[in-house]
Amino acid sequence: MEKFTKSFPSKPLGAKTAKPWALAGVVGSGNLEVLMERGSKPADAMECHVETSIPGYKASWLAALADFAHHYPAGGTKVTINDQGAPPVLVNLRLRQAYDHLTKGDK
Amino acid sequence: MTGAILFHELTARQRIAALVDAGSFSELLPPPERITSPYLAQLGIPVSFDDGLVIGHARIGGKKIYLAAQVGQFVGGAVGEIHGAKLTGLFKAAARDKVPCVLIVESGGVRLHEGSSGEIAIAETMRAIFECRALKVPTIAVIATDIGAYGGIGILSTCCDFRVMTEHGRLGISGPIVIEKWMGKKAYDSANRALVWKTSGGKTKYLLGDADALVHDTADAVRDGISKFLGKSNAVSLAALKARQKDLAKRLKRFGAATDPDTVWKGMGVRNIEAASLASGPDFAALAKRGK
Repeated sequence: MEKFTKSFPSKPLGAKTAKPWALAGVVGSGNLEVLMERGSKPADAMECHVETSIPGYKASWLAALADFAHHYPAGGTKVTINDQGAPPVLVNLRLRQAYDHLTKGDK
Repeated sequence: MTGAILFHELTARQRIAALVDAGSFSELLPPPERITSPYLAQLGIPVSFDDGLVIGHARIGGKKIYLAAQVGQFVGGAVGEIHGAKLTGLFKAAARDKVPCVLIVESGGVRLHEGSSGEIAIAETMRAIFECRALKVPTIAVIATDIGAYGGIGILSTCCDFRVMTEHGRLGISGPIVIEKWMGKKAYDSANRALVWKTSGGKTKYLLGDADALVHDTADAVRDGISKFLGKSNAVSLAALKARQKDLAKRLKRFGAATDPDTVWKGMGVRNIEAASLASGPDFAALAKRGK
C-alpha cells in the first residue's frame, strides 16, 4: 500500500452544488473509488488523499490529479481515493464522474 | 434508469435509486463517515468507504422500508465486520420500528480476511431477521445477480420471509468451484454455466419453491416483486418447519439420485425444456406448473 496527501491549485468550485458529496467508481481490480466533498479550505485548492494498493506510481498520480485540478474548478473540494490498480485514464474518468455528480446530481 | 437497463448490470447504488420512490433514499453511515474495515487496512488491501454495503431507508409506492444493497465488485460483496454490523443493525432497526426490510443480495458469503467477525455478524443478522419474523415485520431478499447468494449470505437469504429472484440470480451454500474441488469435475463441472444455473439459478429455485417470485431482469419488475410481499409475512412455527422438513425429505427422495438437472425441471412440471430455458420471469413461471 502507498498513501499520500497533496493539495493542488484550482479555481474555486461554484457556490452551489447539487449535493455535499459524491462518490464514483468502486474498489475492484483495476478500478478505484473517488469521494469528492465540498467545504474544504482554502477555496482555491483541491485537497487530495490517495491510498493505493500498487506502490511506486506517485509521480503519475500527482500528474493526473494536477491535470484535473487545472482543468476543472474544483477548489474547496476534498478528494479521497481508494485505489486497486486503476490506470491513469480511469482515474481521470472517475474524477470527472464524481465532479459531475457533485455539481449536477446523479442524473 | 429503469426499464431498458438490466437490473443485474446496475451498481448497488444505482439499484437502490432505480427501485425506490424518486429522492426517497436516505443513506445511513454514508461514505463521508469513512467507516471502513480495520482488517483489510492491516493486510494492505484497499478499503471501501461503505465496506461494500449501502444501507438506509426509503419508500416504495409510498411505503417506508429499510433496505441494504451489497456491492459485489468490492471483494465479491463479502461480509466483514463493518459490512456485517451494518447488516445486523439494519434488521434490528427494522424490528424496532416495525418497518419491512429488503436486502439486495450480491455476495459470496463471509470475507475470509476477517472470517470470525464475518461469521459472527451473519449469525447476529440471522437472529435479527428472526426477531423481525416473530414480530411479523416482512423481510425480503432480492437475488438477481450472477454473484448471487452463497455461503453465509445464502443461508441468511433463506432465513428471510420471502425471496425474489431473476434468472440471473443464484442461490446456494457452497459455490460451484468449491463443489467441484470436493466432488471432482466429473460430479460437478463448475465451468459448465448451463449446469451451474440449472442447479442453483433463479428458475430452478423458483420451481423448487426456494424462491417465492421469479421476475424479469428490470428494476420495474424487481420493484413489483418486492411490493407484493411488503404487506405479508411468513410466520415461523413448529408446524411450518416440520412441513418444510417433510418437503425437503421428499425432494431428496425424488431427485437425490438425479444426474441431470432437466430431471428436476421435468419432475417439477416443465414439459418443454427448450422453451422454458429461453423464457424469462413470469413467462417461465407460466410454462412450468409450480411444483407441489
